[in-house]
Amino acid sequence: MAGTTQTLDISPVGRVEGDLDVRVDIEDGVVVNAWTQAELFRGFEVILRGKDPQAGLVVTPRACGICGASHLTCAAWALDTAWATEVPRNAILARNIGQLSESLQSLPRHHYALFMIDMVNKNYKDSKYFEEAVRRYSPFTGVNYEIGVTLSARPVEIYALFGGQWPHSSYMVPGGVMCAPTLTDVTRSWGILEHFRKNWIEPVWLGCSMERYEEIKTYEDFLNWLDEKPEHANSDLGMFWKMGIDTGLDKFGAGCGRYVTWGYLPHEDKYQKPTIAGRNAAMWMPSGTYDAATDTHRLMEQGFCREDMQHAWYEETGATHPFDRVTKPIAKNAPDFDGKYSWATAVSHQDLGRLEAGPLARQLVYGGSHTESWQHRDGLVLDMYKKMGGASVLLRHFARMHEFKAIYRHIEHCLREFKLNDPWYIKPKEKDGQGWGATEAIRGALCHWIDVKDGKIKNYQIIAPTTWNVGPRNSAGVRGPIEEALVGTPIKDISDPVEVGHVARSYDSCLVCTVHAHDAKTGEELARFRTA
Amino acid sequence: MANLLWLQGGACSGNTMSFLNAEEPSACDLVTDFGINILWHPSLGVELGNNLQQLLKDCVSGKTKLDIFVFEGTVVNAPDGTGTWNRFAGRPMKEWVKELSAAADFVVAIGDCATWGGIPAMAPNPSDSQGLQFLKKNQGGALGKGFKAKSGLPVINIPGCPAHPDWVTQILVAVATGRAGDLSLDEYQRPKTFFQSFTQTGCTRNMHFAYKVSTTQFGQRNGCLFYDLGCRGPMTHSPCNRILWNRQSSKTRAGMPCLGCTEPEFPFHDLAPGTVFKTQTVMGVPKELPTGVEKNSYIKYTGAAKAAAPKWAEEDMFVV
Repeated sequence: MAGTTQTLDISPVGRVEGDLDVRVDIEDGVVVNAWTQAELFRGFEVILRGKDPQAGLVVTPRACGICGASHLTCAAWALDTAWATEVPRNAILARNIGQLSESLQSLPRHHYALFMIDMVNKNYKDSKYFEEAVRRYSPFTGVNYEIGVTLSARPVEIYALFGGQWPHSSYMVPGGVMCAPTLTDVTRSWGILEHFRKNWIEPVWLGCSMERYEEIKTYEDFLNWLDEKPEHANSDLGMFWKMGIDTGLDKFGAGCGRYVTWGYLPHEDKYQKPTIAGRNAAMWMPSGTYDAATDTHRLMEQGFCREDMQHAWYEETGATHPFDRVTKPIAKNAPDFDGKYSWATAVSHQDLGRLEAGPLARQLVYGGSHTESWQHRDGLVLDMYKKMGGASVLLRHFARMHEFKAIYRHIEHCLREFKLNDPWYIKPKEKDGQGWGATEAIRGALCHWIDVKDGKIKNYQIIAPTTWNVGPRNSAGVRGPIEEALVGTPIKDISDPVEVGHVARSYDSCLVCTVHAHDAKTGEELARFRTA
Repeated sequence: MANLLWLQGGACSGNTMSFLNAEEPSACDLVTDFGINILWHPSLGVELGNNLQQLLKDCVSGKTKLDIFVFEGTVVNAPDGTGTWNRFAGRPMKEWVKELSAAADFVVAIGDCATWGGIPAMAPNPSDSQGLQFLKKNQGGALGKGFKAKSGLPVINIPGCPAHPDWVTQILVAVATGRAGDLSLDEYQRPKTFFQSFTQTGCTRNMHFAYKVSTTQFGQRNGCLFYDLGCRGPMTHSPCNRILWNRQSSKTRAGMPCLGCTEPEFPFHDLAPGTVFKTQTVMGVPKELPTGVEKNSYIKYTGAAKAAAPKWAEEDMFVV
């Protein structure tokens, strides 16, 4: 087989939330080229055009049932900036707790239901950890699978106390929130949070207290922690790390080496009069980009975004800012791998090019010193990244799971800071204007642009984390981040290419919201609404 | 043992996420305690690529018995009726849906998209989406008006955006344990056990509704959301305030107006300018009244209720 190229079309790569198709060229058992295709087209943006300015609060959480709170967060802040509202302190905290509880829920749910069940694939039957992995992680019947999936429902109970239900509430509105919680809502939230810590985080995930885990500051600290006690090594975190190393997950899935985060969680005292320009200076979790080649951190701005449709099912070419795009799709979406092959567009930074979004990107940015002293800082993952020689499937997934710490502590912060007798909502005056709202969904950078004219939506644009990650090649032929990450991936059995799944799932791709708005009859794209 | 296959069309995965919040029984209980064998699910299945395509083909051919086919999301027909805007496992999803539905004993539509088209089918319905057996209130949909699964039942519709996890798991258990004969469906093929009562049934704001005390703007603890904020609780069929969400609350309890998401017309008024979170009125009387109430009697009884309202009704009841 040496020297011959096999082409493998994988349709679908499941468990990535939505439909992802991947084509890979394999030479001598290693991927040498890759194409990622977003294959679902629903059409949301045309639906929003001409609708009530607040329609995005109802529609956009439903673009993605996984990151609904994140969409709602963007939709609300976009309207706040367009309408120049005042958002009371309590409301900022109540929005943040919604975003945070959705993200906390997603950690065990993604780890067990989406990621770890690949480790019981026969591909890994020779690993010394295989038998234990089968016991713990087999779908539905694995001991820890059941604990993780069932307990993942608890954090969103906190969401329900503030928003009524998860997923798909619209409780964040311009000027604040709909709810006005009472003391029992706050104390019940504390109880739920504690239960989650005492039943999953500490006994199952860590095998130690959160406080002990929080002492880990460097790669060496982490390795020492692993060896310190059998409880640590045998925890699900320990098991993930040991089996990941044993099966080589640290050896592939590097990606493009440049990273982006919008930052998120507005400071309750610093963003009560939200503006687009003032956003970076008001985020608990800082915005930024990280370029590994030059080891440079910079702030990120919405104005830096460009979209390229050369290899996407649109007639447009060139790089355009989302506010300026005139979207012209092609109706016949047959894949042509030299031409157009995806509904996702190629998103890039005007100076830095293609960027990876997601928890790894966030963690690498948190390691930077480009931020204010009160903003969140955590250098562990950046330290691991440098000492391990860059990104991999293993580190990307570790970065995601590492976030429980900051998320948990910030939920505590919100619960402490609510002043129950203060306002939750200040009725805004509706007006025309342009707005932009952003957040970090658990899977990465998400933002909405809105243009309100004559009391209705003129244009609504979204770029979601998976748009950054799963996009096709750009005009210059540069591969998208996941396409790049797939190159070099070893494929043991081409009839069951689980390794491709590992890479895609390490990015936590979400294709359900890669959505474009076409007129079905004429094929004309009336508008565009992509969230993935 | 009952084989269950779950696929997603034009979907947001929200019903899957909701399903994973289930407690009585939990998603894992379905497998371990009730003998439901989940053949594949887009977020939970093990197979990928060709192995999955084979699994689907075996279900269609009958080689693998398909007891329950669950569908989430719309059936996408665009462009030009081809459905290629939603390709899955190498072909348009709509083709899989038709073949799998014909092979299944029971077909269950979960969430508004699969039942009546939901948000994607909202005007102008750019993806040319339908529900399995309805488009909005019109019977027909992707499978046609006369469709019956092998069991003799039409598509069982479990609407909601998303559906509550317990509505889903309890219906699946009923079917898997041979109690499908007890299911009674309403005119929109919803199980009556869940969808005969109203969203308002059990709402903590009912006393304020009775005395016509309004929540005039968001962020207030007191009052009913029907009079000013567009709540559809009195006209929507769901058990949202009988079987609480995430075991804790409901939208109306938390202060969010019901959007009527278990009804085929959702989203109401197509979210036209001025209709979102605002009660539509004519001369101060809501255009849409609680189900079955006439305008004249509404004016009379709310006038009487307002006059009879005790002092406490205007004061904060849900205090810090």
